[in-house]
Amino acid sequence: MLGAKKEKPTIAIVSLTCCEGCQVAILDLGERFLELTEKINIGDFAFLEDKPELPNYDIVFVEGAPITKENIIRLKDLRKRSKFLIALGACAALGGIAEIKNYQDKFERMRYVYKNFEGINNPDIRPLSFYVKVDLEIPGCPINKEEFLSIVKKLLSDIPVKIPQRPICYECQLKQNECLLQKDLPCLGPVILGGCGAPCPSSSYPCDGCRGPMKNINPDKLNKQLITQGYTQEEIDLITQRFGFEDKIYPEPPTIK
Amino acid sequence: MHIKIDHIAKIEGHAGFTADIANGNVTKARLDVQEGARLLEGILRDRSIFEVSQITSRICGVCPVVHTLTSLKALEKTLNIEVSEQTTLLRKLMMMGQIINSHALHLFFFSLSDFFGQIDDLALIKKFPDRTKDALVIREFGNNIIEVIGGRSIHPLTPTIGGFLKLPDAKKLGKLFNKCDDVLIHTLSLAKLFIKLKYPDFVRSAPYASMHHLKEYAFYDGLIKTPDEKKTSPTEFINVIKEYQLTGSAVKRAKYHGKPFMVGAISRLNNNHTQLNPEAKKILKATKIHLPSFNPFHNILAQAIEIIHCAEESKKLLHKILRQDLSINNNKEREHLIEIKLKSIKTTVKGTSTIEAPRGTLYYFYEIGGDGKVKNCNVITPTSQNLARLEKDLEEYLPELIGTKNVCKTDCREKIKMLVRAYDPCLTCATH
Repeated sequence: MLGAKKEKPTIAIVSLTCCEGCQVAILDLGERFLELTEKINIGDFAFLEDKPELPNYDIVFVEGAPITKENIIRLKDLRKRSKFLIALGACAALGGIAEIKNYQDKFERMRYVYKNFEGINNPDIRPLSFYVKVDLEIPGCPINKEEFLSIVKKLLSDIPVKIPQRPICYECQLKQNECLLQKDLPCLGPVILGGCGAPCPSSSYPCDGCRGPMKNINPDKLNKQLITQGYTQEEIDLITQRFGFEDKIYPEPPTIK
Repeated sequence: MHIKIDHIAKIEGHAGFTADIANGNVTKARLDVQEGARLLEGILRDRSIFEVSQITSRICGVCPVVHTLTSLKALEKTLNIEVSEQTTLLRKLMMMGQIINSHALHLFFFSLSDFFGQIDDLALIKKFPDRTKDALVIREFGNNIIEVIGGRSIHPLTPTIGGFLKLPDAKKLGKLFNKCDDVLIHTLSLAKLFIKLKYPDFVRSAPYASMHHLKEYAFYDGLIKTPDEKKTSPTEFINVIKEYQLTGSAVKRAKYHGKPFMVGAISRLNNNHTQLNPEAKKILKATKIHLPSFNPFHNILAQAIEIIHCAEESKKLLHKILRQDLSINNNKEREHLIEIKLKSIKTTVKGTSTIEAPRGTLYYFYEIGGDGKVKNCNVITPTSQNLARLEKDLEEYLPELIGTKNVCKTDCREKIKMLVRAYDPCLTCATH
């Protein structure tokens, strides 16, 4: 991906609108992150420096959802200036919690929060891939810092990166957790992309899908299962809307037989 | 003269700065917040009380613990649910982890470089390898506390209405206990660096507010204390601070009786310094600052002192928690209680609660219905309260910086950024 370059690759970590928890996760790598900085040039990382941005990046990590007009302009500009653009975290990959309003009356939501809403942008929330070509998505809310580090190391060594299409259940079972779905809790583990280490079911918190669905899954089976367990479609929808992937698994509203 | 700073790095979230100056008078000093509106209070409406605290956690990745816990406390207030002593102790310990890791991030990575005219932390890290180690060990300890109790350090999972979905492993808590003494040493050496720094001599008069508790240095519980010595309940005080919005701005500001005021570490220290733990008290004495301090730059020093206090407090809390039985978690009982409380609601019930977040007092208000859904809510963050005061400070500080020359060159611009960073603003929180 980076080719046989001799000099250090230039990397930027940038945020649009979000909680910035994915950047915090990177900093939480502590010494391991500082070791990494010796192998790269930092082109932009506002948590660590106030230098002018470098003109071009080999890799740019973008966290957050584009909400303001400036966010969208910045995203397109970053795309032009970067060889490889990576969507970092649920907001960038799926839309994240800001997308909840897409499934509600977003104008009413705006009026509820702001008396003077003139001049405040209120677009439908879309993932980065709606606006620009995205080369890789690192999912999660927040990202798994271990997965991030292993991906960056691969990228720096020109090893192709692929997140294995395995469900959360795979890691959850390795941890020998009690199955929450079997305990009648609304756990989305069977259809959600693993790689996080299953911290949620390990904490007795059913998976709510922050990493988004695996490719080519049939969500109907789990949906039916949850209905059998006594959940209403509305309750299930509220969960799949939480990180903004209902539109990804059901481009059309689901019909229940 | 027009001053414009497009983007201020090393703060949480995005903001720039503009000011207009005519004949030595600052006519406008404004922090331009560049965050999108996520409409948090809007999207929570009609959603279940069992999930909203997980969504509010996403307001901020630096201080997710306080958003989770304040939301839960407000819901419990609304439903009139009392939590067990064990739950309170575990939550207080999570708070220590939160204050420790957020302050360490701000002190070392955001603010320290300002004192050395340095714009790149990586250069600073080379200059202070031992202090870097202090900062990393301290942050790691804070994160570990949150992870052991919450299941994850960013956006913790186990806290729920009335208690915890799962209780922490006593062995892991024991390991944390064994680390406390070492972490305390690191907090002391980091604080000693911050004592030596030269803080700009900018003193102004401004009201300040923080929580206050009769028995302890307040973070988790207490009344709101202001300089007039009045102590007010959060439910009353949320009506005293008035939120207002400037046209076109997605961030709300707040005033106290019509005046800009300050919250955060220095306000807490001003109000509660006699309740600090012993080592923190010693360091406070060594700083020789006179309290109450009206120098906003002292907010940085106050954070360094609070980290020591929190390291000491963590040990005390762990000691108490480890003496309790962590094997029984009455999830069924807890769920049943909430069910009963919801059934007794005739129309709606309301409640307000607060916590001292790293950056100051955080307010949550909820109104919920018998169907267990949020009808109305409001979140007032510390940075929303601080913004008006910060802008007023900048207005008062700028003439000092410009002096008679009436120009704002690099040094003046760096000082503006330094004052902004001293407040440790979080625009992500403020906009939400």
